[in-house]
Amino acid sequence: MIKLNINGKQVDLDADADTPLLWALRDDAGLTGTKFGCGMGLCGACTVLLDGQVTRSCVLKIGDVGTKAITTIEGLSPDRSHPVQKAWIAENVPQCGYCQSGQILAAVALLKSNPRPTDADIDAAMTNICRCGTYNRMRAAIHRVAKGTAT
Amino acid sequence: MNRTPQPTSTPLSRREFLTSAIAVGGGLALSFSLPAQEGGPPRPAGPPAAPRSPSAFLQIAANGAITIITPAVEMGQGGHTGMPMIILEELGGDVMQLVVKDAPAAKMYNNPLFGQQSTVGSFSVRGWYTELRRIGAAGREMLVAAAAQEWGVSPADCTAANSVITHKPSGRTKTYGSVAALAATMPVPQNPALKDNSEFKVIGTSPARLDVPPKVDGSAKYGIDMVLPGMLVGAIRAAPTVTGTLKSFDDSAARGMKGFHSTVALPNGVIVLANTYWQAKSALEKVKTDFDPGKLGGVDSAKVSALLHSGFNEQGAVVRNDGDADKALAGAARVVEATYEVPYLAHACMEPMNCTVRANGDTAEVWVGTQSPQAVQAAAAKALGLAQESVTVHMQYLGGGFGRRGQADYATQAATAAKASGRPVKLIWSREEDIQQDFYRPAAAIRFRGGVDASGKLTAMEARVVTSAAPDFGGSPNPGFYTASVGDMVYDIPNLKVTGINKDIGLRFGFWRSVNQSHNPFMVEGFLDEIAFATKQDPYQFRRSLLQHEKAKRHLAVLDMLAEKSGWAKRPAGHFYGISAFAAYGSFIGSVVDVSMKDKTIVLNRVVTVIDCGVAVHPDNIVAQLEGGMVYGLTAALRGEITLQDGAVVQSNFHNYPMLMMSQMPKTESYIMPSTAAPGGVGEPGTAPIAPSLASAIFAATASRIRSLPLSKHNVDIIAARA
Repeated sequence: MIKLNINGKQVDLDADADTPLLWALRDDAGLTGTKFGCGMGLCGACTVLLDGQVTRSCVLKIGDVGTKAITTIEGLSPDRSHPVQKAWIAENVPQCGYCQSGQILAAVALLKSNPRPTDADIDAAMTNICRCGTYNRMRAAIHRVAKGTAT
Repeated sequence: MNRTPQPTSTPLSRREFLTSAIAVGGGLALSFSLPAQEGGPPRPAGPPAAPRSPSAFLQIAANGAITIITPAVEMGQGGHTGMPMIILEELGGDVMQLVVKDAPAAKMYNNPLFGQQSTVGSFSVRGWYTELRRIGAAGREMLVAAAAQEWGVSPADCTAANSVITHKPSGRTKTYGSVAALAATMPVPQNPALKDNSEFKVIGTSPARLDVPPKVDGSAKYGIDMVLPGMLVGAIRAAPTVTGTLKSFDDSAARGMKGFHSTVALPNGVIVLANTYWQAKSALEKVKTDFDPGKLGGVDSAKVSALLHSGFNEQGAVVRNDGDADKALAGAARVVEATYEVPYLAHACMEPMNCTVRANGDTAEVWVGTQSPQAVQAAAAKALGLAQESVTVHMQYLGGGFGRRGQADYATQAATAAKASGRPVKLIWSREEDIQQDFYRPAAAIRFRGGVDASGKLTAMEARVVTSAAPDFGGSPNPGFYTASVGDMVYDIPNLKVTGINKDIGLRFGFWRSVNQSHNPFMVEGFLDEIAFATKQDPYQFRRSLLQHEKAKRHLAVLDMLAEKSGWAKRPAGHFYGISAFAAYGSFIGSVVDVSMKDKTIVLNRVVTVIDCGVAVHPDNIVAQLEGGMVYGLTAALRGEITLQDGAVVQSNFHNYPMLMMSQMPKTESYIMPSTAAPGGVGEPGTAPIAPSLASAIFAATASRIRSLPLSKHNVDIIAARA
């Protein structure tokens, strides 16, 4: 039994300590918004926030999480009201949408540390793969949040 | 809080909102037939399509909810928004009361243009456009007739809009929901009146895509998210060669591992079942397997290239033979020759292949994101020994399709495991399996010879097209298919000979976004560019000179719009432009790529794309598709390559099959040609022009001609410009 702090709640999971956080979230905690893409920390579909820091959950064992606060896409807001979610909707960003949970969390972390990112900042921080090619819309959505015009 | 109703998109057929639903036209068959569209594929032979009941597409509940069942799945291309918009336009329905569902697997939803229920080939809007309009219009006329009957007035005195029927002389109104029950008893009009394009209120607008909200909070359900009571999760290892077979396996080291359930042998691999995916994957790593490599054993990529080139010396099928190309080439003032080649490519959908199956005795259910529901249904039925109609396919969102999810191999595997275990099974492929067990965009090559007269006019061309795919869709591939954009080019070349030959090496063919047009335009347009530079002509003006005839009008208009929007005539100093345009999927597409040099690095300043797709149903989504297609094509052009070693695919994950990232994303401008022509495709065309336009720009900037892809093999460094 491993204790994790997921989206503000203490959760006991019946999973081995070497289970990647991604699969503990999906199969044991029932939070399927976090996606499996590569299993090697390359694509970022599994991105969650750990104490606010971008983390690739497919290569982090739950035994190594400790007491850090895990934020998944389900914990970002109860009603799609986070400014990044609103901007994503306003720019019609997602296509297939599979990578977007991770993309949104990466943008949340970027904007928290850097509320007015330049294009170069966005290039450096947004390192998740989007196979549908929504990059320019994500960039526009991030700038939208920075300008305070999310809706 | 009482929230404003929002249109919703759900790929789940379990949504229970229609408890009091009364279908418009319920149970009444309405047979529509459509003429074959010019430029489209021939209509399938055999008996005519089953009659389509409007209620299979459109239902209106007493509370006003409008349920539209879309025959196009949602894989990010906008199928859940664009298709309903077409019905809604003619129905006069309120978009805020819209609920969209996926069609179940049933022949009634076969695309009128090509006779299959598959979201492929950029066929959805162009195949369904008129049919969906007629369904919407029939619904509107039945609702109006019902209201008129209740009022005792003439339907001709009534109008309908925003789900409200108005009796004009009196100003009385009724909602669609209030007359839906009576409307269902009205005769179905056989020739409902369709709007003139000038009356469109929905088509041509860009409402928010219905599938976007659930995709920003993690609530959108993809196939991989399925959970069933008592479900086992499977991890798979297939033979390293796609032609391989399983000789034996030993799972003794896996037995007893936590959560392990069983190992299921497949003809070409093993599936380990466990309580969770991680348990299954961990146990699979302990299973020893022995495979026979089959036909691909010993094949490596050098052999692939040699095989392609050997095809140049063989007699291919002649698919085009205008004038006398051999004679004209023999008599030409100058002959230009060039050979172009591209590698195999994998799809790499972000969501790895997966499928969930539950066998319930005489019936079964499948939960999956698929482009071809009936193919999944048939595959699962066969594996389970059931009749096809005994299998229900529950459609989920697709985490990317791109042609890969038109296949049903994963459904066969999941059904086999469900049968063997007697439990519901969710099978999830690893990324490695996903890349190494794909159906691949074929490696292909074309050898060109072009004959030019003394004035620089292109008088003759010969193109020998060679592809290398094991067909997986029945029979030998048709040369007319894999010579697309070559055999059917509209350039005015009086002596033109095009041949095609398939050198099957054993690697199976896959429909990869834009299919044969993912490479043939790169080659044809590249070679035309070579002729233009060899004869000292402007690449844009040279193409113009070959398009001065009636059949090339729309193609030429796209080329001209590209020149205008990109500022072709006023290229700034230090900027080098490349251009290409051609017909694709019932549309006309082209792009201009603008590059400059920074030392030896090529700076990609912007990509300007123009499409003439006829009537633009949802312009913002079309722009999104053009950008997305461009990224798919640019990703392949820069670094996309699947290679073989001893018959096995070498690439395994995103470290050696890299994808374009944010930092490499160029600025884009996309333009839609105003048009009232019948809709063309938009999902695939945007993929095709980036490679030829980029290669053309690189030549303009460096005098180095790119004749093979990817660019990473040419020591070309490319970065995206940033302000």
